[in-house]
Amino acid sequence: MKQLFLVLLAACSLTAISAQKTYVTKSAQVKFFSHTPAEDIEATNNQAESKLVDKTGQVMFSLLIKGFRFENELMQEHFNGADYMNSTKFPKGEFKGKITNIAAVNFAKDGTYNVTTTGDLTIKGITKKVTAKGTITVTKSKISTKSIFKINVKDYGVDGSEVTKDLEITVTAKYE
Amino acid sequence: MKKKIILSGLLVAGIAGIGIWYFIFYKPTHFKRDVADEQAITITAKQIVKNFQSNEDSANKIYLNKAIAITGEVLEAKKNQDGKPTVTLKSDDSFSNIYCTLKDDAGQIQGGSTITVKGICTGFLSDVVIIDAIIIKK
Repeated sequence: MKQLFLVLLAACSLTAISAQKTYVTKSAQVKFFSHTPAEDIEATNNQAESKLVDKTGQVMFSLLIKGFRFENELMQEHFNGADYMNSTKFPKGEFKGKITNIAAVNFAKDGTYNVTTTGDLTIKGITKKVTAKGTITVTKSKISTKSIFKINVKDYGVDGSEVTKDLEITVTAKYE
Repeated sequence: MKKKIILSGLLVAGIAGIGIWYFIFYKPTHFKRDVADEQAITITAKQIVKNFQSNEDSANKIYLNKAIAITGEVLEAKKNQDGKPTVTLKSDDSFSNIYCTLKDDAGQIQGGSTITVKGICTGFLSDVVIIDAIIIKK
């Protein structure tokens, strides 16, 4: 009887260990910023979806290009236009990848952990490998992530010659 | 007489100058789209999710960047990272709802109540996404 109990207990604790958790949010924030001699270009999207799996480090973000809001609406129109992002034909942007050092993150202990993420970034129908450094912060079992990285818009078939090549992207997600 | 002509000429030139400055330089950079002034496509939360699920491409053609007035039951009301209020409206499929980000604080929004939200559709992720929205019926 005692043995059976121990076996059951072991089975229970095993499932507890192997249980993985998927963190999701629909209100991740993606900002981009670029400084040009004429003006700063800045826009924010507050409706990005994201998923993060704690055990495997799998992470994904998706957002709608038309959800980027600029201070200057003329700039916003140009950004969405056919010769720039062409957001009517390509309404979404997506990142799918993995946190390569997820083992370094203790999801049970409060703190800020440095992580590196590698994966595929798709913008305007073109997919490129990107690697970004960031942090995962655990506060009372709530998870949030932040990452700042740069992309060259020309890699994605966006003609940025008149504005900028390098775009700094800031991603912050607070998971539920 | 001559003086009068010159003066009125200057006045006209001045007004024209201000007009040119306003329409060419000021207005384009300060223009703000306001969904309240727009004619909206009226639909229920259940139906718009069905339309996106059955054919996303054709739904995009109808709804993208348009003002839409959506009536549905409130699943939850929250705030996003910028402190803006958000409302999720229910559909028949619990995986796909309507995620609306409101322009301004709209006061208390009761979960389970039926409201009409008017905003701009930016597309379909797992939810239909509506932004710059206002509540037109509570």
